Amino acid sequence: MSEASQLIEVRDLVVRFPIRDHGKRTVIQPVDHVSFGIRPGEVLALVGESGSGKSTIARTLLRIVTPSAGSILFDGQDVTRVKGRALAQYRRNVQMVFQDPFSSLNPARTIEAHLSYPLRKHHRLRGKELGDRIDELLERVGLTPTKDIRLKYPHELSGGQRQRVAIARALAVSPRFLVADEPISMLDVSIRAGVLKLMDDLRAAFNLAYLYITHDLASARYFGDRIMVLYGGRVMETAPSDDLIRNPSHPYTRLLLAATPGSGHRGKLPETSNRAPNLAADRKGCPFAERCPLATSECHEVEPPVVAVTPEHTVACHHVTS
Amino acid sequence: MPHNHNALRRPVLEIEDLSVGYETPNSLVHAVSDVNLTVHEQEILGLVGESGSGKSTLAFAVMRLLKGDAVVTKGRVRVAGQDVYALTPAELRSFRWKKMSMVFQSAMNALNPVMTVETQIVDTLLAHQPDWSRERALARARELLELVRIDAKHLKSYPHELSGGMRQRVVIAIAIALQPDLVIMDEPTTALDVVVQRSILDEIREIQQREKFAILFISHDFSLVAELASRVAIMYAGRIVEVTDSETLADGYRHHPYTEGLIRAIPHLTAEQVVIEGIPGNPPNLMELPSGCAFHPRCPYATEECRQARPPQYPSEHGLIECHLFKPQREAQHV
Repeated sequence: MSEASQLIEVRDLVVRFPIRDHGKRTVIQPVDHVSFGIRPGEVLALVGESGSGKSTIARTLLRIVTPSAGSILFDGQDVTRVKGRALAQYRRNVQMVFQDPFSSLNPARTIEAHLSYPLRKHHRLRGKELGDRIDELLERVGLTPTKDIRLKYPHELSGGQRQRVAIARALAVSPRFLVADEPISMLDVSIRAGVLKLMDDLRAAFNLAYLYITHDLASARYFGDRIMVLYGGRVMETAPSDDLIRNPSHPYTRLLLAATPGSGHRGKLPETSNRAPNLAADRKGCPFAERCPLATSECHEVEPPVVAVTPEHTVACHHVTS
Repeated sequence: MPHNHNALRRPVLEIEDLSVGYETPNSLVHAVSDVNLTVHEQEILGLVGESGSGKSTLAFAVMRLLKGDAVVTKGRVRVAGQDVYALTPAELRSFRWKKMSMVFQSAMNALNPVMTVETQIVDTLLAHQPDWSRERALARARELLELVRIDAKHLKSYPHELSGGMRQRVVIAIAIALQPDLVIMDEPTTALDVVVQRSILDEIREIQQREKFAILFISHDFSLVAELASRVAIMYAGRIVEVTDSETLADGYRHHPYTEGLIRAIPHLTAEQVVIEGIPGNPPNLMELPSGCAFHPRCPYATEECRQARPPQYPSEHGLIECHLFKPQREAQHV
């Protein structure tokens, strides 16, 4: 990966939260030294189960959560701690689409109002120019006739249509990078493909880069150029999508694949327990060791190094050698 | 297994010509229309549909749990040979759990947050088996937890102390506590992670084979149902539009255009080709159902006939299909 070509680059990102566990103050680390880069027009799919830290990474990229350590570079600029005007500038380039299109839109505002706010605020559009741009955005996401859609309220639209509005709103500020956090998981099956295809079209049309967060390997393979598998806040494996599905190297990736409907896996799952990952900031070794059928004492003690199986395929596991 | 094997098996659930409507100020809106469906002993039948297709209403109608404005407008439901709607309220109370039970989607809401797991299981057992001693009920509670692979120490736990997967296992344990003939599972794993989902489904299959009950398994997840169930019923706008053997959901079989659309809409994990295609349009509003076949506005093969007349059910090679294209005659169009 040549560094210069990255649109967004995350280096050694760490997020810690203080929590109370049975009344005792302790610190959890839902994002544990995560690094990755995404090129313009590229889709990186981030796959993991609940508690793996994928949504925390999303919120950190949008600067809703401030990282505890590490850095975020956008177009070569360090945006890890920028404030005020520079932060507003960054957020014009980075937008988010949320999982739940029922709660991410304001029920008391028309669709037009949802789109005109960012256009007025960020692009200072008014009058006819504003109206034209709203029509253009709605057409772009396949919501026609725009004249009718503009005056509707969210409750008058279906889940798929609402998610299209959320995408149009994200596009309003002409971003270069979209973070999509489980954008199709609450939609009906017959609607999901259409929304995924729309996101794919937008990537091509605007050279948009995506961080596509999902728990579903099948849709990650469909939409992602590369897949990054996360467990307990750490990156387990990263590879081009087809390569990851065909040649999974990490025991956790293999478990996830075996458990996914349509995998053809029969019989027992390759895991030794179903415990949730330990997120404590002071944990040792590999977070998956507790469930891993290959775990040795080394796995419980020593953090596995990241090994490159091929230049594009990296794995963090003591049992994988390059 | 091919559906003709079922001819030898005793039907556990028989739904005949069932319609369920919701009363609104102006009209009666049908959420379930003319449904005929049979689940045989030891069978897992999958019921697939999108939100608003009527699959949960159908489940509630079977359990006679319809509330408020929902009414059965016609048809019959028999479980283990007994007409569910002919039971007195007292009979119904003991009939539920003993003959039929239900697992709901949200395990957190199905369990009482201020009662321990032990109390919830033991109370259920004692309510239905008044002659049992508390010790006997407790022993059965332990046995049930073991069946769903939960450590007996969790008898003393409250629901909030358990993970989502464990809570759903407890709910399943309670559902099978009285060895019912039929268990209805309404999206039992939808809120869970893939790995937990898979291990619970494996357990369901294993327990079902051991305890020999029948399952009506409701889900929106096509690939999951295809793996778990032997037969699948597909619901659209309140009607069962197709019933088929689940192995036909792989390539190479003719299906209802809606089923076909669903198959194309799902990205496959391991297939060579990763092209997917959504079904155009949106699921219909039950208040303003399209004329004729409710799927016609979204159907690529729709003809004038589809717009005018609702198709009857035609037998197909592997079940039933409600579509004009399957009219058994020479000039019928090919899909």
